[in-house]
Amino acid sequence: MSPAFKYGVSLYSFTDDFGTVMTLEDSVAAIADLGATGIEILGEGHVGGYPETSAAWIDNWFTLLDKYKLEPTNYGAWIDTRLYRTRKMTAQQGAADLARDLRLAARLGFRYVRPKIGVVSFDLVPDPIWEEAIERCLDLAHELDIVICPEIHAPTPIRHPVVESYIEFIERTKTKNFGLLIDTGIFQDRPLPYFPGETPEMRRDFLDGIKVPPKDFLAIAQYVVFIQAKFHAIDETLTDANIPWESIVPMLKQAGYSGYLSSEYEGERSPWRALEQVRRQHALIRKLEREYDARLKQEGDAK
Amino acid sequence: MLERTLVQSAGFRNTGEEGARSGFELRLRLPSYRGLRASLVDGVDVVVDGEEFGHEANRYLIGDAEFTLDQLREAADVRWPMDEAGVVRIARAGGLAPGVHEVTVRVRIQQSYIPIEFQPSVFVESRYATVVQP
Repeated sequence: MSPAFKYGVSLYSFTDDFGTVMTLEDSVAAIADLGATGIEILGEGHVGGYPETSAAWIDNWFTLLDKYKLEPTNYGAWIDTRLYRTRKMTAQQGAADLARDLRLAARLGFRYVRPKIGVVSFDLVPDPIWEEAIERCLDLAHELDIVICPEIHAPTPIRHPVVESYIEFIERTKTKNFGLLIDTGIFQDRPLPYFPGETPEMRRDFLDGIKVPPKDFLAIAQYVVFIQAKFHAIDETLTDANIPWESIVPMLKQAGYSGYLSSEYEGERSPWRALEQVRRQHALIRKLEREYDARLKQEGDAK
Repeated sequence: MLERTLVQSAGFRNTGEEGARSGFELRLRLPSYRGLRASLVDGVDVVVDGEEFGHEANRYLIGDAEFTLDQLREAADVRWPMDEAGVVRIARAGGLAPGVHEVTVRVRIQQSYIPIEFQPSVFVESRYATVVQP
């Protein structure tokens, strides 16, 4: 049998519900009820009093993790390069922001930090300060035992200069504290429905799906440390309307991926819809994982 | 907790002295999945019963501090957390008549990780909201 996936959920899934119709404990309880083991958060979205979090908030965080038997997985951070209208953010400022998030993430028990880096082009080439900003934080990340992992997100495919530059960075620095995070939205092969008020003129092409062939993952698998399992709609027959899990799961298994699949629901935002959608996603991916293992076992027995 | 709508029911009211109202204000949930530094919020257009109040002239209260649009654009050290409503203050002599109004907001957000051609992102929402006191 190939190594098993770990299952988690990002609180991003509960966007618009979190803080309006669901508390932190409601969210944690819902994730635990899935049989998931990991919780992913966004620092500036879900940590009370960010970035000066109180001891009471941190105590409550660990109380909840203990009560519901969850481990912190990935912590989302931002390098907001457009923070100033009249001047550019410097690499030092970017590094200072990232260092602050690394320290907070470590205090909360996280092992991965995803910096979302500002872009300078239509195809999401990150601001050139990224390299120096992250390099300045590598020793701190090492000390805190955290892996910094920028995300590969549509419309950026796997075969792209952005991914190559991240891999060159890993090879050059020989660091163990930087890796790739894959957002499964890159595999989307059918269009998303129009969002409320969206017209064909407003449509951005990538919302129709950039259709990265799942097998492209194999070439970069050794650098991938985390996967955000982005999805938008799964119906009552466990059919995903946009993301081809039936080809993604066997490919991840073949690659020997044994890290987290952390649900990122990004569909319709009616109250509590995400709760049911995330359950369907875990049911679907777990089913495909079992089927892969059963096939592998059958083939092994036949030999 | 906040209401799920962007414009909150509570806090929609006239401002200035009763009998000589100078305007009105509303409380707003941030249309985002995370808190933001104030300089990333590029103001809010407000439309009440078809009357337009553009983001350039409105004022913004985040925490205890009030900002003009220009001040807001420079406020890179001020944070608007997800779990706190911001306040939009609108000048209108006489304020609004008590009763139900159709309120539309267009909240303008700068997102560094989206190509500049598509920025600011504008989040639009309409609802009915009620001014109780004249």
